[in-house]
Amino acid sequence: MSKFFVFFITAVISWQATGVTITVKNANNKPLANAVVWLTPIGSQNAPSKSDALYSMGQKNREFTPHVLVVPQNAKVEFPNDDSIMHHVYSFSKAKTFELKLYKEQPKAPLLFEQTGVVELGCNIHDWMIGYIVVVDSTLFAITDENGHVELAALPAEYKLNVWHSGFNDISNVESQTVKVSQAPLSYKIKQPIREKIDFATDEFDDY
Amino acid sequence: MITNTALKHVILSSVVLFSCTVNAQIKGLLQLRAVQGDNVLSWQEGGVGLYRHDEKNDSLILSQGILDAHIDLATNWSAHGVLNINQDPDIGVGFTQAYFTYQPLTSHHYKWQVRIGGFYPLMSLENPDIGWTSPYNYTNSAINSWIGEELRTVGAELTIKRPGRYFNSPHSFSLIAASFKGNDPAGTLLSWRGFALHDRQTTFNEGVKFAPVAALNNDALRWQANQVLPFEEVDGRFGYYIGMHWDYLKKSQLRIYYYDNNGDPTKLNISSGQYAWDTRFTSAAWLYKFNKKTRLITQILNGKTSMGRYWFLNNAFYSHFIMLSHKEGNNRVSLRYDYFKVDDNDNTTFDPNASHGEGLTASWRYNISKALQVGTEISGLKSTAQNRADIGFNKDISQQQILANIQWKF
Repeated sequence: MSKFFVFFITAVISWQATGVTITVKNANNKPLANAVVWLTPIGSQNAPSKSDALYSMGQKNREFTPHVLVVPQNAKVEFPNDDSIMHHVYSFSKAKTFELKLYKEQPKAPLLFEQTGVVELGCNIHDWMIGYIVVVDSTLFAITDENGHVELAALPAEYKLNVWHSGFNDISNVESQTVKVSQAPLSYKIKQPIREKIDFATDEFDDY
Repeated sequence: MITNTALKHVILSSVVLFSCTVNAQIKGLLQLRAVQGDNVLSWQEGGVGLYRHDEKNDSLILSQGILDAHIDLATNWSAHGVLNINQDPDIGVGFTQAYFTYQPLTSHHYKWQVRIGGFYPLMSLENPDIGWTSPYNYTNSAINSWIGEELRTVGAELTIKRPGRYFNSPHSFSLIAASFKGNDPAGTLLSWRGFALHDRQTTFNEGVKFAPVAALNNDALRWQANQVLPFEEVDGRFGYYIGMHWDYLKKSQLRIYYYDNNGDPTKLNISSGQYAWDTRFTSAAWLYKFNKKTRLITQILNGKTSMGRYWFLNNAFYSHFIMLSHKEGNNRVSLRYDYFKVDDNDNTTFDPNASHGEGLTASWRYNISKALQVGTEISGLKSTAQNRADIGFNKDISQQQILANIQWKF
């Protein structure tokens, strides 16, 4: 009996270590990188509790780094400015409205993101800068790699699979589908077209 | 006087507000220069040389001493001041820029901002570094040498922006309109000296000397001082400029401006010896990044200036430059060609204002660290000015200048 129990625990741990692999594809069936994927357990209404984990949305070389940050609801996010010039970071999104004037030498206290949703960030000085914080009601989240893959340490159960991408025409339009997580890999095909990201060729002399 | 009083208010208000706030960013630039100039006396010393330096500058000089303060006053308001310390031709301290910016944070996709005070119109793509200096050549183009010495807006400027990223477009546009007082004598230097090549910006409290032009001994010009106070208000009228910026992914940047100081050419301030010149011009500047390392910058300036009744003095001016700049690691190499000319279109024969010339400027700059940079520049020009003959100089001169620089940013 105890041998069986040890085997069972080991199996669960090793399963958890690998988790479920989800592949996200675009409408043309090509792997989609930089998509935010998260699983919310069906029937569970509990928002992730506050934790001391600190997330970071930096500004470096006049860009938000990372371009997309995904955090659990009630997460704290700091906004370190790595540039020698000021950034005036703001959001008018429903999930979090704020503005921060940020200097490298004068870091501001982290902000608490209590509501789920997509927070679009801009800089009032460098108007090409754009970034996103996706606040999700789950701790099972990740961003797809170049092959469109994420691995999530979800236990076998029914979940709502949620997918979001910054190339959505309407960035509030999260795609969702109920999935049954087992050991088998899952695949999800995006239903809407994905806009190409516009990369501005900026440098330190473009402030002027 | 109105100009000076307004500026004093701006500067004093900034100082008072600065003392009440902690959100400020102060940057600085110190640049020391060793010069090998030639024997043609610089325009700064009352000579006919078109470079900033001549053989008299045989020791180290402080070529740039800049303090640049940006102060947050409120969410939407900030103050910006640039203080310059100069050693040549005389030791002096003064502001080259001092203004407030109102830049409201708005959820609207169109953005707008207002600048009020004393500032540069943003015509140049050559001078984006601290305190309107150039990160490319040490010696500015003929166009931006002139803008740095004779052009400044003391007034209000409105900018409406259509940032591409809010419209999911690679194209961004800005429309700019400004109205200002002062800047009535702008054009004086172009007429009596012509274009020059240098990096000596005029502070609000300064005048710029020129050579003892023979025509100024004529009775008709007896009130003209032997210097220009470029930012002075003479005629009581408002000037204006309008501009357009068009960026494609920041890879291509185009700026077009039309400027008219709306000077009343019949007006004169006898006590300061300054005439109002009716100066209007078009400037078009274009920057193109071939890649992250190599870029091209070019600018064209075309305009007219007149002074006195019935176009007593009436000149047209034109200049262009083309510059290539390449950055490799910590090295930046920049090469520029300038062409410049002033045509004399009046019948006032005792005052010939025609001049023309061209120049080549090659610079190498090396960043030792983020703060410390060394560099050198070799330049040569040839120029012709009709009014040189009347004061005993050859109309045609050739000049060379070699600079070695060390600069510290903080």
